[in-house]
Amino acid sequence: MNAVTQHTLTIMLQNETGALVRVAGLFASRSYNIDSLNVAATADPAISKLVLSIRGDDQAVVQIVRQTRKLIDVLEVSHQAAVA
Amino acid sequence: MPRNRNIVNAQLMNTKSAPAPAGNLHPLAAKSMSGAEVIVQVLADEGVDVMFGYSGGAILPVYDAVFRYNATHPNDDGSEPLPLIVPANEQGAGFMAAGYARASGKVGVAVVTSGPGATNMVTPVRDSMADSIPMVVICGQVGVAAIGSDAFQEAPVSTIMGACAKHVFLVTDASLLESTLRTAFEIARSGRPGPVVVDVPKDVQNTALTFLGHGQLPIPGYRARLRNVESAHLDDAGCASFFEALAQAERPLIYAGGGVIASAAAEALRAFVADFGLPVTTTLMGLGAFDTTDPLALHFLGMHGTAYANYAVEDCDFVLTLGARFDDRVAGVPDKFAPGAKFIAQVDIDPAEIGKVKMVDWHHIGDLRRTLERLREYGAAHGIHPRQDGRYAAWHAHIAELKRVHALNYDHDSELIQPYAVIEAINRITDGRAVISTGVGQHQMWAAQYFDFREPRHWLSSGSMGTMGFGLPAAIGAQFARRDATVIDIDGDGSIRMNLGELETVTTYGLPVKIVLLNNRGDGMVRQWQKLFFKGRFASSDKSLHTKDFIKAVQADGFTWVRRLERKEELADTIAEFLAFDGPAFLEVMIDPDAGVYPMVGPGMSYAQMITGDFIASRQHAAGDETLRNDMF
Repeated sequence: MNAVTQHTLTIMLQNETGALVRVAGLFASRSYNIDSLNVAATADPAISKLVLSIRGDDQAVVQIVRQTRKLIDVLEVSHQAAVA
Repeated sequence: MPRNRNIVNAQLMNTKSAPAPAGNLHPLAAKSMSGAEVIVQVLADEGVDVMFGYSGGAILPVYDAVFRYNATHPNDDGSEPLPLIVPANEQGAGFMAAGYARASGKVGVAVVTSGPGATNMVTPVRDSMADSIPMVVICGQVGVAAIGSDAFQEAPVSTIMGACAKHVFLVTDASLLESTLRTAFEIARSGRPGPVVVDVPKDVQNTALTFLGHGQLPIPGYRARLRNVESAHLDDAGCASFFEALAQAERPLIYAGGGVIASAAAEALRAFVADFGLPVTTTLMGLGAFDTTDPLALHFLGMHGTAYANYAVEDCDFVLTLGARFDDRVAGVPDKFAPGAKFIAQVDIDPAEIGKVKMVDWHHIGDLRRTLERLREYGAAHGIHPRQDGRYAAWHAHIAELKRVHALNYDHDSELIQPYAVIEAINRITDGRAVISTGVGQHQMWAAQYFDFREPRHWLSSGSMGTMGFGLPAAIGAQFARRDATVIDIDGDGSIRMNLGELETVTTYGLPVKIVLLNNRGDGMVRQWQKLFFKGRFASSDKSLHTKDFIKAVQADGFTWVRRLERKEELADTIAEFLAFDGPAFLEVMIDPDAGVYPMVGPGMSYAQMITGDFIASRQHAAGDETLRNDMF
């Protein structure tokens, strides 16, 4: 079992109806508790920037990142593992 | 980050401002149309030739536009270009669209109203998502201003479907309706296919618009990722490491899933096996990807797979996984799946499936057909031909012996009609070339086990969701996709009840669908589990006191060939007559209520612990039966 650590994901998201719900719903369906979430507009009104932090082992977080990339309105996901 | 964002912005701008392709202007471009007319025109442009749905207030403008389109655009033979098939219940429409999609490979289309129409569609949408079936569902919605107000026949479709579908669009800006519809088809059929829901408020359907004839929504993230996987090239180093590992193997095996069918890679798989000689077992969803009558075919694996397939998985030392996902019905205990495999390779179009359940030693994310062709090409160029070299002669002999010794078998001496014998009798006539749909439960597993499947898209079954009631509407949809094919719904008495209203749909549209009801007076699979895991307490699964007369029900819906079979000696003749009937036919067979599905790998068990029942030879005594736990479903 890998160690559980804090991970911060930055998600660039198309500003579409229900997009935020779909991201949050995906994390909820895999039983993640979102420790913090910040959603902000970007210079382009069509794009929002989400920064969220979750706890999980590295392998599980790699998996959820891949699943996040399957969401149609997700433009990109970057993932930084923070120190535990 | 800013740099990337600029790229994204540029992509958004490009797509948004993309002009119509030069010299390729749509003949109706710049024509004034209502939103509803735009929807119908895009459906026609996308090649839709049948759709399924039930009317209601919030979708009436679209239904009216379909009616007018059909009246003004008749086919040469006078038939409607966009027939709209009406079920008894929207769930039926959804499974008809799914059956059409599964049998044809094209996108199935369903059009339903708001509120209950849309919520009745949730099950088929989720079912299609779980089995990667391309579908576009158009739902009416209350007017934009009323959304969220608990209006009449309102449901939060984008929220509900967002959790079930590949994607959902709520169209609140009528000017985006046309591009949204077109994008829905693109998303449904591309990459790993799936259902896309488009929720269209009634006022958007009634908005006066100008038809463009081109254009899609900017979905730059999805398209960029799609381009990556679609263009992914398996390079020389990747091929070399694959073949180096294969060269170490003496007992390699292919584990092929529904992805082989979804990506039209069945021919490529057959050619690959012809070159390299790896035996093939498929998943339930992969049946037909490889001709099950081939000497190297092991039929399907898993919980109720053939004993010889499961033993081959135990015995192999190399696994090539193609468009399959180590589902819990296949790899109940991932660590014990293929325990002797020193090398597991996986090819999939979905990056999220790599390593999701089981870590693999080699993988390629990309199109299956092209990947298999690339491996063949590399093998040919590098003189790799293990099959011709006889490298697997011992393994092939072992496979043949497993198939002989551990063949499917049942009680041939029983006075009662055995369900297996019914399937065998049908299969002797259809020879693996009929389109078979099923409900869910024992009859589904018997059909999967005892039918041959020579080609892809002949096996239509709710694999992942396991939705009872799937069989009848799926058969109806499949018959629309394959008008000349023999389409047979193998159903159970529990499953067929779930969508029994669709019997009338069969006769309304004069479809020659054949329905076989294997009646064991109850929920047989539930009883089987209750016998094994709940000390035989048949809570709610015994229906011997239920009074349903299926024969009368079917006659009431206008079937003329209707028969109940109760005598074993009449089996062969009855089935021949049933299949020969030119039109809808219904055959109820009263089967042995105690017939079980074997083999069975219990939940949470490894293949080594497979139970084979009284009539299939087991290789070892199933160890640890006592440890079967009723909380491991």
